[in-house]
Formats: sequence, C-alpha cells, structure tokens
Amino acid sequence: MLPGYPFSVINFLLYTFFYLLFSIPLTLSYRTTRVINFAHANFITYGIYTAVFLNGILGNSSLFIATISAFLVAGIMAVANHVFVFKPLEKRGASMNLIMIASMGLWIMYNYVLYMIADIAHAMIGMNFISYGRITYKDVPELVVNGVSLSPTFTAGLLYTSAILLGLYLFLEKTILGKAVRAVSDNPLLSEISGIPRDNIVLLTWFICGGIAGLGGALWTSFSGTVTPTSGDAMILQVFTVSFIGGLVSLLRTGIGAVAIAFIENIGIAYLNSLFNVPTSFRPFLTFLTLLTILIVSPPLGAAGGLPYRFRSKKVKEK
Amino acid sequence: MIDPIGFMISWLTIFGIYSILAITLNFESGTSGVTNFGKVFFYGLGAYTTAMLTVYLFLILNGIDVSKTPPYDIKGIIYLGELANKNPLLNMTLLLLSFMLAFMIAGITGYMLSYPIVRVGPAFVGFTLLSTGELFRIFLQHYDPAGGSRGLMSIPNPFAWVPDARTRELLFLLLVLGVLTLTYVTMHRLVNSPLGRTLRAVRDDEVAALCLGKDVPRLKATVLFIGSGFTGIAGSLLAYYMTSVNPDMFVPAVTFNVWAMIILGGMGNLRGALLGSAIFTFFDRALSFITPQLGVTIISPDYVRGFMVGFLIVAVLLYKPQGLLPEGRVETPAWEEQASFNKG
Repeated sequence: MLPGYPFSVINFLLYTFFYLLFSIPLTLSYRTTRVINFAHANFITYGIYTAVFLNGILGNSSLFIATISAFLVAGIMAVANHVFVFKPLEKRGASMNLIMIASMGLWIMYNYVLYMIADIAHAMIGMNFISYGRITYKDVPELVVNGVSLSPTFTAGLLYTSAILLGLYLFLEKTILGKAVRAVSDNPLLSEISGIPRDNIVLLTWFICGGIAGLGGALWTSFSGTVTPTSGDAMILQVFTVSFIGGLVSLLRTGIGAVAIAFIENIGIAYLNSLFNVPTSFRPFLTFLTLLTILIVSPPLGAAGGLPYRFRSKKVKEK
Repeated sequence: MIDPIGFMISWLTIFGIYSILAITLNFESGTSGVTNFGKVFFYGLGAYTTAMLTVYLFLILNGIDVSKTPPYDIKGIIYLGELANKNPLLNMTLLLLSFMLAFMIAGITGYMLSYPIVRVGPAFVGFTLLSTGELFRIFLQHYDPAGGSRGLMSIPNPFAWVPDARTRELLFLLLVLGVLTLTYVTMHRLVNSPLGRTLRAVRDDEVAALCLGKDVPRLKATVLFIGSGFTGIAGSLLAYYMTSVNPDMFVPAVTFNVWAMIILGGMGNLRGALLGSAIFTFFDRALSFITPQLGVTIISPDYVRGFMVGFLIVAVLLYKPQGLLPEGRVETPAWEEQASFNKG
C-alpha cells in the first residue's frame, strides 16, 4: 500500500497538472522563439498576483475571472518582453547567451516591480500582499468520488489542464495557424520563405505561452498555503527540469517529464520517507538529482546550443 | 556625521571582494562563454569552508571540547570572542589554511560540476548552476554543524590581535587588495595567453573550436576550476570581513549583482569588471549610509535598488552591449613589439 494514500496520489495528480501548465508553455516558447526565458517564473508570479489583487482589492471570488485576467496579464507581459527586449536584440544579431542574460535581467526587474506594487497597494489599502493566504473561490464545487473528497483546485485543475492540452493539440495539429507555429519552430528561415509571417506567429506564441503559465499561477492561489512574490521563483527548478526532460523541443516528452517529476516529488518521497526516514524537505534535491541524471545520461544534444555529440572513451574497439 | 575615512575603508574592502567575483566571472563568462549563474554557490562554499574550518579549529586548538560546546552555541560564541586576540600566530595560520582549503574545495567542486554541463548549451549550464546555488542554501539551512539557518558567528578576524580598530581595518583592507591584485594579474596573464585565445574561440563558436581540435570539455572544466577557486577565496575574505556567515547571505541576487557589474563594465574586459564593481559597490555603500536618513518610505529603497540592477542589465544589453569598456585585443608579444617599434 502506498504511504500517505490517498493524499499522496491526489497531490501527485495536482502537481502533474501544475507542472504541465507551467512547463508546456516554456518548451513551446523556446522551440518557437529560440529564447530561453528566465522571466518565465514571472509569468507564474504575475498570474498569482493578478488573482491576489483581484481578490484583495476588488473582492473577486470567481476562479474563472481570476484565471482569464491572469491569462491576459501574463500574455501581455510576454508580448511586451518580445517587442521591447528580445526582438531588438535578435535584430542586432545578439547571441543566445546575451538574450538569455537579458531575460535574467527582466526576471529581476519584474520581481522588484511586483514588490513595489505590493508596497504601494499596502500603503493605499493597508493590506499585506507580500504574503497572502489561500483564496477560496466560490464558483468551483467540491467533488466526492468513492468517499474521497476532491478539493475545488483538483476539479478546476483537471478541467483547465485537459482543456488546455486538448486545445493546444487541436490548435497545433489541426489548424493552419498551428501548422505555421510548428513550421516556425522547425525552421524559421524556411517558414519565412514560404510566406509565413514569422513575427506575428512569434507574437502569438508568446501570448499563448505567457498566458498559460499565468493561468496556472492563478490556479495556484487556490492550492498553495500562502503566496509571496517569490512563489513563481520557488517552482523554477521543477519547471525547468521538466522542460529539460523534454529537451526544450518535444511537448510530449515535456508532458512525460511533468508526470515523472510530480511522481518523484510526491510518491517517491513518500516511499523514501516511510522506508529510509528521508525528510520531505529533501524533495528539491531529488529533482536536482533527476536534472543531473538527465544531463549526464541523455543530454538534449544540440538543443539550445551545446555540443552535438556524445563523449566516448578514447579507445576505439578494434574489429 | 558621516565618517569619510571609515566610509572609504568599508567601500574599498567590499569593492575588493566584489571585484574578485567580477573578474573571475568575466573570465568565465565574458572570455570563455561558461554562463555561470551560480557564482554565489562557489562564493558561499568558500565562505562556509573558511567559517567552519576557522571556528572549529580555533576551539579545538584552544583545548575546548567541540562536541560539548559547539561554535554555533552561545557558549562557543563567547569563547570565540574571548580567545580571538590571544594568539596572532594561530590567527594567521588559520587564514592561510582557509585560503588554501577554500580555493581547493570551491575549485574542485567547480571542476566536478563541469561534467554534467559540458555537453549542453548555455541555457542548461546557467540553469544548472543557478539551482545548485539555491539547493546549497537550502542544504545549509538544515545542516546543523554549520549552525543551520542562524549560521556561524564570531569568526575570529585574522588581525584580531591588533589593538587599534582602525589599524585592524586597514590591515584587512591591504589583505583584500593584495588578493585582488593577485587575482587580477593571474587573470590578465591567462586571458592574454594562448589559453585565453582558445577560450575566446570556444565562446564564439563551440563547434568550430571542436573541429579545430580544441578539447572543449577540458577547457570548460579548467575555466570553472580556476574561476571557482578564486571565487572561493573571495568568499573566505567575506567570512572574515563580516565575522559571521548565514545562508541568507548567499541568495541568487548576489550572482545577479555581479552579472550587472560585468555587463555594465564590459564583458570580456578585466578593467571593465573593476569599473563595474567600483560603481555598484559605491552606490551600495552610499545607499546604506543614506537609507536610515530617509526614514519610512512608501517603496523600500532596497526594491528600487534591486529593480535598477535588472533594469541596468536589460538597458545596457539593448543600447550599449559592449559595456563601458569594450573588449580589447589580446595582448600578444607581437603587439608589444609593434608598440615599441612605433615608439622608435
């Protein structure tokens, strides 16, 4: 029997939803735009804080409104990043390193902007936004299946994740626009020659990617105990590891990665805890070990620069 | 009200420590293309190595049972404070020992960490090192022999036996500037050597360098060994200067500060790193003098400062990507001869 059943299983599924919502857009945005975006954490955090401000200032208690606004806010942020920073850099022919460093600069900037906004909001309303409790939404019911009560977050997470995954699948595989997105990610130059407006496609991709991560963030407010302006940063290790499992290229493998990391972090640690008394705070180390293992055993060759070959021992076997 | 000499000494000491970080980061990232987002990890490793070595050995050599009065205990802290100025020889020996150990431990860790990341691109390298730093911090918070989240306090200053406080500060400043000079000279020689030219080749095109027969993985490992080693010494100096270490000193923001310094100063230019760190540390020190006089403000000055770091990185990359001092040519003997020929 699983230790901590059924909570470990429910948490495993919940984290799978969140990792899917956070990592799929990262992979999609990298493969389409060739920008490794450290500001991805900000999309999550700003999604979270859109929901928090809506709840704290306007008294919103509808998850639907929160997620839609978070989608818009984070999507617009992503588009602004592209228009004001990434595109000018790309035009100048800056290397991938420089663009990555610029995204890191953006990450720091957005972080402190959020702190400032929280400070101003605190001065105006007198509420503490730096650490905000869990939000209870009224428009999602609590389900009871087989005597196990499933939290509203679970229901909403299941709905949103399956809707978004299905939507993305249909969009990328069945529509002309989606095919254009895939064409741009396969070969930007060739797609431009065949008449695809690459700039618009990249803008659209950024909007979708930022939006999905922000939506995930809004959903997080109904699950996490308290949220702080570093909530998004705290998840960056898991989110990037999941995307790295997908090699920053394959959406399917990213999905498998999300399941794997959620499994290791919930069920794996529960086993280790009950068998070897490993403390549960050991969780991030397991993820980090997975990351190192992935990098050593099956490095995403050629993805995001790097050497397109594996090392072999110097002795070549003679036939 | 503001003591100008005290300000200068504290600024120059911090400047020296940060300059070592900036110079080594410039060597790693500006010259060799290893995007080291985990600078703070090696810095913290050096600081903690020094702190643990110094306080434990100090107590043991003074005949105190560490298993009963550990140095993070209040009694241990009092003992450390009482014994710090008794034996100059012990202080200096521990200083040398911890320099060596900090260099070796940080360097070897850097060397080993290069193994998982040599095959993958800058994104993976940067992220792996970044998360290593964060995990190191989490580890320290739960590691009791290093004091857990309170950290270690009352680390004996190597010059604690000097009675006058000002002289003591000056001596320490000299030590920091000495290490800085050593680092600068070493890096200057390395960057302008054939190795430096190969590293630039690796930075500009890894695959091309590989095709020309350069052992790229080996080069990256070497770079991380040297860079991290000197970073470890910087951490060692920090531990002695602050006389305490705790996990919250080693947050990723430190790494980003150093990055902002080298981007402002100019990637690939060692003097640029010095300039960048001088500007940043000066504003930091000035801010820490001014902040208490502002009283309570709506937006905390710390946030504005953090915002400026990020904004500066983005703005410099957008409008002046080469930084204040652009990367110069490699100083080879041929250029020197040319220069002396021009002089006549």
